[in-house]
Amino acid sequence: MSLEYRIAYKAENQYEHPVKEARWQFLICPHEEEGQKVTSFSFGNSLNFPYEVSTNAYGFTTMRILAKAEFKHISFEADFNVLKTAASPFDFDLPLDPVEDLQRYQNLHFRVEFEPFLRRTQLTTLLEQHSKFFEYRKEKTVFENLVDLNRWVFEKIFYTPGVTHVNTTLDEIVENRHGVCQDFAHLFAAVARQFGIPCRYVSGYLHQGNGYFGDSQMHAWNEAFIQDVGWIGFDPTNNILTGENHIKVAHGKDYADCAPLKGILYSKGENTTNHSVQVHGQQQQ
Amino acid sequence: MAAKDHTIFSSYQRDPALFDELYDEKGEVKNIYKTLFDLYGSHSIEDYMRLNEKAKSSFFNQGITFQVYGDKDSQEKIFPFDLFPRIIDPAEWEVIEKGAIQRSRALNLFLWDIYHDKKILKQGVVPLELVSSSENYLHQMMDVDPPGGIYNHISGTDIIKHNDGKYYVLEDNIRCPSGVSYVISNRTALKRALFGVFNHYQAYTVTNYAENLLELLETVKPKGVDSPNTVVITPGMYNSAFYEHSYLAKTMGVELVEGRDLYVENDFVYMRTIKGPEKVDIIYRRIDDQFMDPLEFRSDSALGVPGLFSAYKKGNVTLANAPGTGVADDKAVYTYMPEIIKYYLDEEPILNNVHTYHCSRKEELAYVLEHIPELVVKPVDEAGGYGISIGNKLTKEEIEKVKKQIAENPRKYVAQPIMSLSVHPTYIDETNSFEQRHVDLRTFTILGKDREFVLKGGLTRVALRRGNLVVNSSQGGGSKDTWVLKH
Amino acid sequence: MLARVANNLFWMGRYIERSEHIARYMHVNYFSSLDAPHEISRSRQFVLRSMLRMAGEAVPDEGEELNEEEVLHRLALDPSNPFSIISNVRYTRENANSARDLISTELYESINKFYHFVLKYPADHYKKKGLYDFSVNIIEMSSILRGRIRSTLLHDEVYAIILLGVNLERANQLIRMINAKYQDAKEARGSYGDTFSKSFEWTTLLKCLESYDMNRRHYKKTPTSLTTLEFLILNPNCPRSLMNCLNQIYNHIRVLDNSFRYNKDSTAFLVGRVRSEYQYKYIEEIEGNIQQFIDGMLKNLADIGTQMENEFFHY
Repeated sequence: MSLEYRIAYKAENQYEHPVKEARWQFLICPHEEEGQKVTSFSFGNSLNFPYEVSTNAYGFTTMRILAKAEFKHISFEADFNVLKTAASPFDFDLPLDPVEDLQRYQNLHFRVEFEPFLRRTQLTTLLEQHSKFFEYRKEKTVFENLVDLNRWVFEKIFYTPGVTHVNTTLDEIVENRHGVCQDFAHLFAAVARQFGIPCRYVSGYLHQGNGYFGDSQMHAWNEAFIQDVGWIGFDPTNNILTGENHIKVAHGKDYADCAPLKGILYSKGENTTNHSVQVHGQQQQ
Repeated sequence: MAAKDHTIFSSYQRDPALFDELYDEKGEVKNIYKTLFDLYGSHSIEDYMRLNEKAKSSFFNQGITFQVYGDKDSQEKIFPFDLFPRIIDPAEWEVIEKGAIQRSRALNLFLWDIYHDKKILKQGVVPLELVSSSENYLHQMMDVDPPGGIYNHISGTDIIKHNDGKYYVLEDNIRCPSGVSYVISNRTALKRALFGVFNHYQAYTVTNYAENLLELLETVKPKGVDSPNTVVITPGMYNSAFYEHSYLAKTMGVELVEGRDLYVENDFVYMRTIKGPEKVDIIYRRIDDQFMDPLEFRSDSALGVPGLFSAYKKGNVTLANAPGTGVADDKAVYTYMPEIIKYYLDEEPILNNVHTYHCSRKEELAYVLEHIPELVVKPVDEAGGYGISIGNKLTKEEIEKVKKQIAENPRKYVAQPIMSLSVHPTYIDETNSFEQRHVDLRTFTILGKDREFVLKGGLTRVALRRGNLVVNSSQGGGSKDTWVLKH
Repeated sequence: MLARVANNLFWMGRYIERSEHIARYMHVNYFSSLDAPHEISRSRQFVLRSMLRMAGEAVPDEGEELNEEEVLHRLALDPSNPFSIISNVRYTRENANSARDLISTELYESINKFYHFVLKYPADHYKKKGLYDFSVNIIEMSSILRGRIRSTLLHDEVYAIILLGVNLERANQLIRMINAKYQDAKEARGSYGDTFSKSFEWTTLLKCLESYDMNRRHYKKTPTSLTTLEFLILNPNCPRSLMNCLNQIYNHIRVLDNSFRYNKDSTAFLVGRVRSEYQYKYIEEIEGNIQQFIDGMLKNLADIGTQMENEFFHY
């Protein structure tokens, strides 16, 4: 069974003073991977600047625009059609010995291989006293513990748009208990990595048809590495494993590796950006 | 010959505790210095003062000046220059040169490994934490093959002579090592002031650096480029090393660009010329990793070129040094150099490493905290001699302060025994006489594809304050012309 | 050549020329006023006003008494005044700095020496008795720079761009000096039966442009408004004349743009157009309406500068 989605991405930028030169990089194109295929896409902007398709340092598709003209306002629109193949996230066997399971994560070879996703970054650093709140249960497998962690993060933070920003520290978020999907994903990653479990931050789109949390912007979740299985998606904002409703764009160590829009402006003054995302789905045979 | 026979050396006082390069074990002036000693000794103090002033104004008029970071008035200063050259014996030089190449090669293989298979980490030869805790380990570089397989095209190796008469390496600088232009301007200044001395010595030239740099850079040009277009990129004319950037561009005969002169289109790099865009193939960069490309690294950087990294990743442009070399420039990596050399080259290190205590290791931390007065404590990630504490120069309160700093963040510090740098006669303005001053040597090594070049000479840096061991120009150091004699 | 660096070299040329003209104008006016035949021309207030006018500064009302030391300092050594000589020399060096890899060591060293000379010049000494020494040094050092430009640079694009700057600025300064002296000649008229056309100011103008001896040799009589203006505007053999500048600008722009394709939007086209308008003019056509000529030519020169910027320096 496969599902087809239509994703409409819109961004609008408003500048206080005229911009003379700018360069933007969009990281919004759904990633081509197993079970996920982009069948068509279009991309444009209100001033008709040409764009080029490239890849960023981590190998994800980007669209770049080089603008040389004077303007104070510009809007961008992208449309993607994505075909998802539904797969059951539980399609694997749990290891028999939980202690041995966790030990395999301590193997040097393994830690070297997964070093980037075990690393504490600025956005995934948590004070010791805060991470202690979640208790890792040795009698359970790594996967089961991650499921617990998923729920713990979900219960720890109240989904509240607008109270946090890019510079809010994780410790502040844990103390105030309010945040958006990025914050959920950072918290999940921070704790998982503390137990030595490689964890990625994932940026993408969520089909909200089933009443999931997430506003009309891009969504964020996690992927953690399970021995003998591979990367498994966890969505702590909704306390679910990821499935056919999650359309991945990119992954990285944290938000900084996955920012959907980066702009370099040669202008002074303030600017504002508004994003909106709509995901429509329909089932196919 | 005794020093008092010579006017300008008559007041030269030798501290027996210091290793003076001018004299041999018997306390006699070394053979290679004898002629020089006589030639300089024939000048009266007044003569010499005049020459010295002339040399200074020559630097000033040439605009060979720098500005100190964080200096409020940021006055232009000349890099103090001492007219009494340092001579390196051909046999000793051979060791230095081979040792510098060995280190550069080993570091290059280390960089390739940690950005590809990471064997050295997996086998536990060096600890994983060495790279995993380093901010200079760029994941963006993972599995990127730099053109020609070279990361550290240009290395600056800081070498000292200890009082056991042996050379030790203090640091490998492989981010953007600077100073090579001073090697050349020192030679020029000495020639202008005292050309006669060159009649008596056969020293290797140092002016061939730029042509070798360009040649070797061209050996690592991007694939499919016939005659590469090379540029030097600088943060701009207010950078303290701007003179060097412009000197190198000029002598290589290539453009000196700033970030705003370049742009990336379809993953190729172009510069904006009066006749429109011109493709750029090789960039000798003198800006740090974090400022190179605001789309991949620090987005607030106006120095870099948006999109440069993806052009690099596609193999369309060579960056020298490659992004991410900084991780091997870390002082913590230095301490594993003997292991690194053995691992990749299966050779014994030719140049000695100073024994290093890692504060990140519990037993060694304990030793360091107990022995601060005998140690030099360095932060692992600061350049330019900042944040260094020399144990025997500290007051009691200062020792406590250093201890506290280390205890709070042990991973940030390493400690080494206080190495006693050799001294060399240096003319001191305040006393109008020669005095002993500590010196080190920065050598410059260039790696190309299957080829290497070491500048025969290098920058002898002098700590101008009496007893001071820190020679960096930002810490009030000066320099001397350095002669490598032909056989 | 990089567009940004070309822009810097162009302005380096302009600033070299600009500081020299200010120095010459101050020097000549001040000292020739000392033995001027007429009271007004001799008046110190009159001279100081003329200096301000030429340097493009606001000229205070007649009633206001100007302080000589203040005016002299402001025009030469006041670093806060962007039009002062010291500021011009600083800009010269800054522009040279950023193009240091392209210009010769000899040229750079001379610019650097020049800068340090001005920077170290004692302001007190200058204000009280150093005007002559200071301005003569500025003039000589500028000549050295021009000599270094001509003799130590490859005569290629770099050279062409610097000389475009030099000549465009020279033309500009020439017109400004004509303007200032034209006003002076009008004001000084009438005392002792002096007429506009025979004003002593024309002699001063020629001296300001180091063209007095050349003019005497060419006309063999005391300069008048007609002979002065003809010489300084239309005679291409006078190295300081407008015509000479336009010819040089045209030759240098041809180095950058050697296409003979018809392109009315190019700088070369614009320069050629202005140049051919004056190539075959009678001075009488200009002398009748000097003000109109001055305003029109200043606009022409500004347009050429803007056009160059768009065509070559836009980065």
